[in-house]
Amino acid sequence: MRKSIFTVLLILFSKFCATAQNQEKLFEQSYALLNNMLVDENSYSFKKAVFSVENAYLDDKLDTLNINKQLNFLTNLSNSLIKDRFLAYLEKDKPTVNKWASVYQIMCDTIPINYNDKIYQYSPFGYDFNDVFGHTTRENLFVSKLLETHKGNCHSLPYLYKILCEELGTTANLALAPNHVYIKHNSIKDGWYNTELTSGIFPIDAWVMASGYVHLDAISNGVYMKALNNRESIALVLIDLADNYNAKFPNNDGTFVLKCCETAIKEYPQFASALILKAETRFKQIKKIENETIFNQQFKELEKQYAHIHEIGYRNMPENMYLEWLISLKTERNKYENKKLNTFSKK
Amino acid sequence: MKTIFFLLIPIFTFSQVKMPTTPQPTQFQHYGNQGLGNPNNINVVPNPMNILNGTDEIQKKQQLQNQQIIREVEQNEKQRIETLNQIKRDINEIDQTNYNLPSLANGKGTEYYRNVYDKMLTLNVENYSVKDVNFEIENAYLENAQDKLEFDKIIKNSGDFIIAKMKELKYDTESNVAKNYMLFQFFSENLNLKANGLKHTPFKYDFVDYMGQKDWSKMFVSKLLKTKTGQCHSMPLLYLILAEQIQAEAFLSFSPSHSFIKFKDKNGKWYNIELTNGMFTASSFMINSGYIKAEALQNHIYLQNLSKQELLSAFYVDLANGYIHKFGYDDFVEKIANKALELYPKNVNAQMIKANYSGVRFEFVAKQLGINPMDNKQLQTIKDNPNAIALLQQANEEGKKVEQLGFTFMPQEAYESWLGSLKEAKRKQENETLNLQFKATVKKTLKN
Repeated sequence: MRKSIFTVLLILFSKFCATAQNQEKLFEQSYALLNNMLVDENSYSFKKAVFSVENAYLDDKLDTLNINKQLNFLTNLSNSLIKDRFLAYLEKDKPTVNKWASVYQIMCDTIPINYNDKIYQYSPFGYDFNDVFGHTTRENLFVSKLLETHKGNCHSLPYLYKILCEELGTTANLALAPNHVYIKHNSIKDGWYNTELTSGIFPIDAWVMASGYVHLDAISNGVYMKALNNRESIALVLIDLADNYNAKFPNNDGTFVLKCCETAIKEYPQFASALILKAETRFKQIKKIENETIFNQQFKELEKQYAHIHEIGYRNMPENMYLEWLISLKTERNKYENKKLNTFSKK
Repeated sequence: MKTIFFLLIPIFTFSQVKMPTTPQPTQFQHYGNQGLGNPNNINVVPNPMNILNGTDEIQKKQQLQNQQIIREVEQNEKQRIETLNQIKRDINEIDQTNYNLPSLANGKGTEYYRNVYDKMLTLNVENYSVKDVNFEIENAYLENAQDKLEFDKIIKNSGDFIIAKMKELKYDTESNVAKNYMLFQFFSENLNLKANGLKHTPFKYDFVDYMGQKDWSKMFVSKLLKTKTGQCHSMPLLYLILAEQIQAEAFLSFSPSHSFIKFKDKNGKWYNIELTNGMFTASSFMINSGYIKAEALQNHIYLQNLSKQELLSAFYVDLANGYIHKFGYDDFVEKIANKALELYPKNVNAQMIKANYSGVRFEFVAKQLGINPMDNKQLQTIKDNPNAIALLQQANEEGKKVEQLGFTFMPQEAYESWLGSLKEAKRKQENETLNLQFKATVKKTLKN
């Protein structure tokens, strides 16, 4: 009797180990995919990168067929918008700007759709004020969740925007602000301009600077407000992967997380989130060291890392301040809206 | 042997006949010269066979054919010469186009600028006198009418006054922070020396023509000293000159259409002094003007403290701007701008001068070609003129460089309202806090 119970337990335990191992394998695979995109730029695809990370967290249960269907629908809708709509823009890069404008409309506008002589209302993607930072569940930050519910946040909205732009054969630059991601474009007429998807407004740079947590050095060093290239965008996704891993395996030894951080920092040396995650992970590891001299030595090293983070201009923005700032764009719209961009803002 | 000879007879006889030959190039020349304008008047080579056989039908036909060919060739030749002449005429026309702006070197007064430029080239970029350079530049505009000794005396007296006041207030005369604070007071407060009763009144902002559009000398330090009013160009420069006089360390810094003073304390903390209002300001105030793009900060074109070398680059810009204002654009302007960019490649003001210069030069060329450079259709007509195309491309590239540095144009009203916003209660409070903070630092240095 005892023996049989023991064997059952053994089997259950090994089964458990196997699933855990499988889960870890998914993360490793995702890391390999992302890393490969950095090694071989031809394999780059922001869509693949984002969904491989989400799939790893969802235990390989991401419904890729459905996602592709939805993305196809949105891409087709963009294409028909490009065809049918008038855009008051005269410069040489009009085809590209037109693509951006159509993706923007899809993200932020209600669009009537004529299908079999019936008019349907396409409803845009809205902002979800619940769990903005993904504390309850990481899934709240996911693009797959956004596609499903049409509600997202400053993480999923710009990601989807970038994915759609790439589906249309153009590109979009992600840009960082404290706790925030937004979109930057460079057009011939307006130079660099910002697109803020959480409120559907084109804000001027002063809005980001006015958050109060953007140090001058952070801007000049490119910690914030820098138009990130595709490689640096992959660095962002790498840190998503590491964060998801931490959420999934809270008691991990930090090896995988540090690996992600190192690769991300190599691509984007001023990436504050990666530097912080690295320092925090190191701190967790160092705490376990019993030998005092080694502990002191490594702790000193860690202090240097934190000093560096401060030096490049990073300042921690409390989370409640974040929402206040985000809303300021709507309440003080007149002050922060880019009035030059009348080409495609609504009235 | 006989048979062979017999067989050869036809050949010999054949050789007697002058057969029409295909025209040779040398012949063209001949006909061309003789029969220009009258292709029918061609000397027909007499055919010896005519005497024997009379004119043959075939021969006639061949002759006609020949004549036709010759006519054709002649016509081609004529066309060729005509196109050649056309091209020559075109080339002559192009040669008359001047691809460089006319030099203004002969204009009265330009020699002052060239002399100052040559003098500036000899300066040690790490160590030169701000007072002297600035004096020379202003004096070039005023055609050497300024008295250097007088100017030196005013600066020396002001420096002495500042040091004396510091001693009276028991500031540490060795401390950089204390010196800067005293300079700040010198610009913004009423001061008098108890020892000899010398009085000093603060400098004020002059709102009239502060960009020197009507009167360029409005931006001069000499004007500031004379009238005790100045603007965002002259005030920071005088500050730097006085700082040099009392050996304090302070830096010039740019923001859109503006310059101000930066200095740091012992701990490396930076302070901004806004002299036009006599206030300490936070960097966020600068940023909130709304006309600073993130790219501008990433390229370090604004809000950075200029090194001595970068400051010299800014002086070259001053020199160029004065010259442009007084005389206009010529290649001397480009020379100055290039020098400024060599010293400080991201000097956005120098880059703007270069872009403007390229633009003016292209407009000048376009006008000669009879093209309106603003009209896209007319611009298409230069596509056969490689020189003009190169100039247009250069103008576009230089303009693009300005944009890539992160520059955005700040309208004058926006500038005025931004500068005015300093006086808002909130800013005043900010100033108070900073001022208090600052006084605490000075006191600390006093204790030390």
